Formats: sequence, structure tokens, C-alpha cells
Amino acid sequence: MPKILIVDDDPIIRNLLNQILEPFEESGVELLTADNGLSAVENARKQKPDIIFLDVMMPKMNGFEVCSILKNDRELKNCCIIMVTAKGQELDRQKAKGVGADFYITKPFNIHEIVAKVGEILGVSSP
Amino acid sequence: MIMSKLFKKTLFIIIVLFGVIAFTIAISSGWNLYNDLIQEYKSKGTAIAKSIAGSSVETILNRDASTVQAMIDQFLEIVGVSYVFVVDSQGEIISHTFVPSIPHEILKIRAEKTKTVTKIQDLHIEGKGDFIDISAPILEGAIGFVHVGMDKGIIMSQMKSAMVRQLYLLSIIFLLSIAIAYMLVNKVSQPLNKLTEYSKKLASHDFSSAVDIQSDDEIGLLADTMKSMATDLHEVFDRYEQAINDAIVELQNTLAYLTAVIDNMADGLLVTDTEGVITHVNPALSFMFALRETDLIGKNCKDIFESSVADLVDKTRNFTDEIFTSEIGLARNRVGKAVATGIHKDTVQSDEKAIGSVILIRDITSEKEVDRMKTDFISTVSHELRTPLTSVRGFTEIIKKKLDEDIFPLFRASKNKKTLNSIHRVKENLEIILSEGERLTALINDVLDISKLEAGKVEWKMEKIQVSDIIERAWGATSALFDQKNLEFIKVIEEGLPEVIGDKDKLLQVVINLLSNAVKFTEKGFVNCRVKRMDHDIMVSIIDTGIGIAETDKVKVFDKFRQVGDTLTEKPTGTGLGLSICKQIIEYHGGHIWVESELGKGSLFSFTVPVNIKKESRSYDHALADKE
Repeated sequence: MPKILIVDDDPIIRNLLNQILEPFEESGVELLTADNGLSAVENARKQKPDIIFLDVMMPKMNGFEVCSILKNDRELKNCCIIMVTAKGQELDRQKAKGVGADFYITKPFNIHEIVAKVGEILGVSSP
Repeated sequence: MIMSKLFKKTLFIIIVLFGVIAFTIAISSGWNLYNDLIQEYKSKGTAIAKSIAGSSVETILNRDASTVQAMIDQFLEIVGVSYVFVVDSQGEIISHTFVPSIPHEILKIRAEKTKTVTKIQDLHIEGKGDFIDISAPILEGAIGFVHVGMDKGIIMSQMKSAMVRQLYLLSIIFLLSIAIAYMLVNKVSQPLNKLTEYSKKLASHDFSSAVDIQSDDEIGLLADTMKSMATDLHEVFDRYEQAINDAIVELQNTLAYLTAVIDNMADGLLVTDTEGVITHVNPALSFMFALRETDLIGKNCKDIFESSVADLVDKTRNFTDEIFTSEIGLARNRVGKAVATGIHKDTVQSDEKAIGSVILIRDITSEKEVDRMKTDFISTVSHELRTPLTSVRGFTEIIKKKLDEDIFPLFRASKNKKTLNSIHRVKENLEIILSEGERLTALINDVLDISKLEAGKVEWKMEKIQVSDIIERAWGATSALFDQKNLEFIKVIEEGLPEVIGDKDKLLQVVINLLSNAVKFTEKGFVNCRVKRMDHDIMVSIIDTGIGIAETDKVKVFDKFRQVGDTLTEKPTGTGLGLSICKQIIEYHGGHIWVESELGKGSLFSFTVPVNIKKESRSYDHALADKE
């Protein structure tokens, strides 16, 4: 059963992503959330999600660090990390690439973009 | 008093000349006297000899020797007569006046017979001297001869004494003349000496002394002229001295002023020669590097500062007319910005000669801090704005989706006009919220872009690119807009265009911006994109058949937050930053951007990108150097 982990310190954004991805639950996708970097790492190791939506600016541990840790975890090798951030600068884009992020989406994002991307990764038609 | 040199010289010449003349005169007059006396003695002797000869005929005939002796003895008393003797026709001496004996020279001449003629001859008698011997015949030599000897020695002594007297006299006259001449010359030379002394003093710039010469002659005139010249000179000297003093004071003041300016400058000043050896620093600079002035002067930049300072010196030497800047670390963890220029001096030999470099260093620690804060602020604000904007946009899209998929179909069958109207309004309003959200996003992106451009925080990826590729990509990104409005896109790209050096993404941003603007303001017609080479540039023009821009607004379109037209009555459709960003990007590439337009007929936006790297935009080199 595919799992998607949503990591953001802002509950509204978590809620938004949740609502955007809700339709996938019908196809048996499980949605998980985490509100900071540390719990994101814990959750990811425990649940082994297929996709992680990862915010960059978070308390305790930022997204780049989380990404770096998870990408170095052999068990999470196939996990697709999508960085979601308000930092749209070239430098941050490169930084994300550097720590192994698979995709990079800047806020504000287009919901169709998100849905299409998830559908593509999971190999299910977008609802 | 010192005898003047002139006088000494004159005196010497006079003495020599006088001596020569005096001796010449003495000798010539002595010679004349001698001749006169000789003549006189000759005639005197002849007369005596003749008189004896005349009166002694009988006595000789009588052979009365004693009478003859007595007669001739009395002639000895006549001055000049030295001897008398009488010989007979056989040459026998009858009587004579020789004491004690007849000299042999007389014996030689006694027999000479001159017959009837009186004979005069010179005779030297050993031990007695020179004589003039005059022989007179007695009765034409038949009886004998009378010889009278006149003493030449008397003539000589008379001549000598006459010459000595003459020389004495001449000497006295000469000495007198010298004395008189001395007095005369002295009278002339004394004021001359005075004048000489005076002129010497004048030559050594001593104008205080005076010369007291009162006369009407040339010397007096000379003295007066010198005095007036001295006065004039004194005045001129005073004036010049004053002028020089004034100039020195002025120079000192200027120097003090300049030194004060330099020393009180807030910026650090560093002056080096062409080799990079420090020749001048100001206190601000010493403070910035926490070094003493004495630790800096005479040292080479390379040995004291980080390499960037020495690099600046090198650059100013190689590129004379340019200004170079560099950021350098200062003491106490502060940051400075160094601005360097070459110093040139006009010289006679060549037009311009580099004599060193001047580097101004400003402490930009606080500016950098402010800059950082500004960038941070903008970045934070944009981040903080993006998050709620994400929610607004995202939830709106979800609402729209839910309404479209779940709610509105429920009312499809409804006949209530009001309900249908409301549904229509809700749909419309949701679209507005979404499009305004888009605009807000664009605005935030643009504000971030422009602030980064202005702060020089943009990372440029300069590489070789084909302009036609960029046009293709821009067309791809904007084709949806053209479809929406049903506008035709025409592109005319010249064949074989060279590559340019530029940032692909940034140039793409420019073309997209210009194309979307063209579409935005054009309701019908077409948008034309033309690319061609113009000398050293590639020129890109975007031509539309839209509303156009009024003449007065043309200059404003590239300003920030400036949208042409009346924003109160017309619906604003952009951020007002797009063209401003385009301008910054194009200018960074060393090109320029401009607009040609006619209200109601359309606009033509053009920009150029240089084919070759221009010298002015040195940042290129760095960007390229970093790349390669």
C-alpha cells in the first residue's frame, strides 16, 4: 500500500496538501503527516513512505537536513522526496539537488501540478 | 688706499716707455755732443798746429830747440791739448812735451810725411788713452811737421757727465710726472673703486649701502645711474620676494588644506607608485588596517595587504582609464570596498605617464549589514507571503473543484433564476480570486527579482547561447496565451546568427516578458518577432498591433511600478516590474532596450545583446572565467 508523508510546520499547508491528495486515498494511498524535521525522519524510517512532501523552513531540523539524512538511509533509497518551499531562488534549488531531492516545487503551487506528479510517481491515473 | 689695478698697469707701461725714451734721448744727445767736441778739438788742434808751424819756421831752421820747446810747452795749457811735438824733415823729433819718454806709437808716426797737407788721425797710446793726432807741415813739409795731440778722454768724460746730467734731469721730471699722474689717476680711480665696492654689494643683494660720489663727469653719471638701478632692483627684488613669500604661504596653506582634507576623510586613502610601493596613506586607512603609518610607507602592497589590493594596483597600471573595485577584509572583522584608479601626469616627453595608483577604501561593514538585512527582509517577506498565498490559491482551487464536481451539478436541474445567477457569480468570483492570486505570486517573484538585481545578488550563468533557441523556448512558454486571444505569431530570424554570451534563463525571462506584454495589450492582429544582426549586436524586436504607448509615456515604461495608462479606470494587468527587470538584465549583458510606438497602432520593443564581450562590462570576464 503506497504511503505519502506530508511534512510542514504550518498546519494549514499540511491540511491543504492533505485535501489535495485526499482523492488518492480511494486508490488505497495512505496519507501521513509530520510537523517538524525530527518527527519527519522518525516517521519516514518507521513508515517507509513512497513519496515525501518536504517543507524547507521548519523548526528543529530543516528540510535540507531531513532530505540529506533520508537519502543516505539505505532503506529509504526508493523514496521520492519532493521539496516544497517558498524559497524559489536558484541557490536553494541547487542546494535541494545537492542533498538528493527528486523534485522541487515552489509555493504557491498549482494543485493540478501536485496531483499530476503524484499520479505519475505512483503509476495511478489522477482522480 | 689700495692702488687700483688699472693705475698699476698704466704706471708700469709708462715707466717702461719712459725708460726706453729717456735712454734713447740720452744716447743720441751724447753721440751728438761727442761728434761736436771731436769736431771742435780737430779744428782747435788744427789751428794750434798751424799756428806753431807758422811761428816755428825760423827756430827750427836755427835748430833752436829750447825756443821751440818753450813755445810748445805753452800750448799744453790749452784745454784738450795733450801733447805737442815737432819733427824735422828727416823725421827727427826736435822737441816734444812727452814726460818722461816718447811713446813708441809716436815714434811710429813721426816719419810719416804728408807733404803739404794737414793730416788728422786717431791715435792710441798705450797707457795714456785715445788721442786725435793733427800734423801740420812746416813750410809745406820742407822743414818738418808739427804734431798736436788732442785728448779724447776729456771728450768722453765731458760726454758722460752731460749724459748723466740729462738722465738726472729726465728722471726728476719723470718722477714728478708720475706723482702728478698718480694723483690724477687716483682722483679718477677712487670713485671707480667706490663704485666697484658698491656694485659688489649690489651683486650680493645688499641694497642698504649707498655710494657718495658727487661729480658732473661720466663717473658721477655712472654712479647716479647705478643708484637708480639699485633702487629699481631693490623694488623689484622686494616685490619678487614678497610674491615668493606670498606664494609659499599660499602653497603651504593649500597643502595644509589638502592634507587636512585627506587626513580627515572618513575613507581610507592609499597611494602607491607603479610598483605598488606605498607612498601615502591617511589616518583613516591606518585605522582601518590597525597599522601605523610608519609600518605602511615605503612597503609594497603585496607584503602588507591581501592579494586583492596588489591586483588592483596591477589592473590600474594595465588599464589606464578604468576604475576597479574590490571587496577587502579590514582589521576588527570589518569589510571594506576598495576603489582604485591610476594616477597620470602630463609630461613634456610623452602625453601621459602613469605615476602610480590611488585606492580609496570605504568601510562598508554596516552597508553590507544593511544590504544583507534588506535582502533577508525581502526574502523573509516573500516567504511569509508565499505561504498564506499558497493556502489561498490551493484552497480556492479545491473549493472550485469541489463546487464544480460535487455542488453545482446538484443545481443543474434548478429553474430558479436567482440560484443559477449565484452559481454564475461564484464561478466568476473564484476565477478572479485565482487570477489575482497569480498576479500576487508574479508580483512577489518580480519584487524578489528586482531587489536581487539591484543588490547585485543575482547569480549569472553566462554561457554561449543562440538567440533563436531562446525565441523558440519563449514562444513555447507563451503559445497558450496566443491561442487564448487567437493572435498570430510571426517570427523572422536571420540566418547564420553568431552565438552570444549570456544567461539563458534571464534572457528567456526577458523575451517571455516582452511576448506576454505584447499579447496582453493586443486584442487583434499579430505579434511579430524579428531577430537580426546589427554591427556588433544581435537585435531582437517584438512588434505588436496593440493599443500602443503615448509619446509621453515611452520614457516611463521601464520605470519600476509604472504601468502606462490610467490605472484607475483601466484594469491593471501586471506587476509593473516586468520591463524594469528586463532593462536590468539587458544592461547587465551590455546591451540596451528601448520602445518605439504609436498610440492605437502598436508597439515595437527592441533589445540588443552584444556579440563580442565589451570591455566595459568586466564582470563578464569573471563570469566566464568562473565558468571555464
